[in-house]
Amino acid sequence: MRSPFQSEQEAFRTVLLVVAALALVALAAALGPTWLALVVLAVVLGAVAARVVQLRMHRLRGLEMPVKMAPPHVGSAADRRVLIVANDTLGEDALLSEVDRLAAAPRTHVLLLAPAVISPAARLAGAVDGLLDQARTRIRTALERIGRDDVVAGEISESEPLEAIEDAFATFAPDEVVVSTRWERTDGGLEPGLAGLVRERFAVPVRHLVFEPGSEAREPDRATEARYRQEVGRAAAGRFGLKAVAGAGIAAALAMSMVALVQSNERTEARAVSQAAAERAAAQPPVTSVVALSVIPEYKDGPEGEKHDAFTKTEFTVRAGQPQELRIDNTDEVPHSITSPGAGVNIIVMPGVHTYTLMVKHAGTYLWFCTFQCDEWAMEHPGYMMGYITAS
Amino acid sequence: MPNKESAAHAQSVELKPQPWRWSHPRVLVEHPDEETGLAIAAGLRYAGYAVAICPGPVGHGRCPLTGPAGCAPAHDADLVVSSLGYEHEAAREVLRELRTRYPDTPLVVEAPADIDGGLGELLDGCHQLPAPASTEQIVVAVQSLAKQDGELGRDDA
Repeated sequence: MRSPFQSEQEAFRTVLLVVAALALVALAAALGPTWLALVVLAVVLGAVAARVVQLRMHRLRGLEMPVKMAPPHVGSAADRRVLIVANDTLGEDALLSEVDRLAAAPRTHVLLLAPAVISPAARLAGAVDGLLDQARTRIRTALERIGRDDVVAGEISESEPLEAIEDAFATFAPDEVVVSTRWERTDGGLEPGLAGLVRERFAVPVRHLVFEPGSEAREPDRATEARYRQEVGRAAAGRFGLKAVAGAGIAAALAMSMVALVQSNERTEARAVSQAAAERAAAQPPVTSVVALSVIPEYKDGPEGEKHDAFTKTEFTVRAGQPQELRIDNTDEVPHSITSPGAGVNIIVMPGVHTYTLMVKHAGTYLWFCTFQCDEWAMEHPGYMMGYITAS
Repeated sequence: MPNKESAAHAQSVELKPQPWRWSHPRVLVEHPDEETGLAIAAGLRYAGYAVAICPGPVGHGRCPLTGPAGCAPAHDADLVVSSLGYEHEAAREVLRELRTRYPDTPLVVEAPADIDGGLGELLDGCHQLPAPASTEQIVVAVQSLAKQDGELGRDDA
């Protein structure tokens, strides 16, 4: 895939996009609920994944214009420089004969390039030394057998074969490339489709020679080369698929971890709130399970010396959100009430002894009064037919 | 030689298909036939030029030069050799874009014998070679234009 840092312009744009995406996630996290931040993060990750897949599929399908390039020729017009790319076929007599034939031509320089075929697993494990030693031994042996040190040089590379060839173009500037492989890929050997990739990329003649033990060198026909190309495409698609699955797994694991972290934080916060409420409740005086009181006409003296209707208890202390039972003996012949719109309370106190539930949802101190026409003065004075409910 | 950076069109571009990996002087060869393209490339390489060969849009989908993305090899080429044949409108469109986007980049065109009015207008000011031109003719034309135009970006290398 094309590197997003291939040019200054692309690097700047990439950094800008990453910063913008992070800012979006941060903004969502700061201003909205947690799930919104997660949704934005998921959208951003999805967009990145979709773009990667699009670029990769574009590349795999070969939709880009097939442009080949080559550096200027190096040396005089009579010089000819041949790059031979081989690895597991380096010991083949037929290959060495071909190298010898090429090197025998006047003013021809040959570079034998042996890319060490290193699997991603070996690279991850750092187990490359053995493979490099193997390539080094093959090159050394081949050069000794050819015996033309003046015109044939050897080189190994731990890069991917195509990158190694690109490096050789920068340093050796070949006029022709020969890619040597087996008919089918072997363990540690070069991909037969490599020749096709080199042909697609570099503007010099490319020959693909296939060497099998005891056989003459042969060039694959067009159909075989096309099959190799398809195999390269399938292998690349497979590798990309694996990477995509692995990437999706990592992204999913990341998202799940974040969700778990957020939920854990929420649980911790809820526990803390619950514990604080329990502590507050424990610190408060206990509330009597049932409060008994009466409503009695002309029960209580007013400041002017006259008797007024009154509740025997006009101050109620309750726990917010918890029911409080009131057993009220209304000795009058008519109903009265404990009504507090602010507290959401409206208890109709019928004549006789009845039990009622007083329930206030939110903490606070609320005024209550009787809404039934009785003693007008008492209805307007706390301590008579009016009072307070305190919820904590 | 025009400054390639200032010649870049103002729009934001993502240059494709691949940037030049070699230093100046650079010649972009547009030729639909692979073998002929390689032969021209070899001649130019031996004459001291880095070369890119593009087969053109016919049979290969849309040319990025005619889209918003642009074409990296055309953008950074010091000279273009265009041998796409101009019976196809897609090939003419490439030529039109080359003339419009890079008016200061020298252009060698293998022109067909019968040039209609539209093509004649496009070819105005180009170095024309009668098609089919040999590799030698193309190399000589490139060298001649390079001399006229200084050293084809050698100073930038």
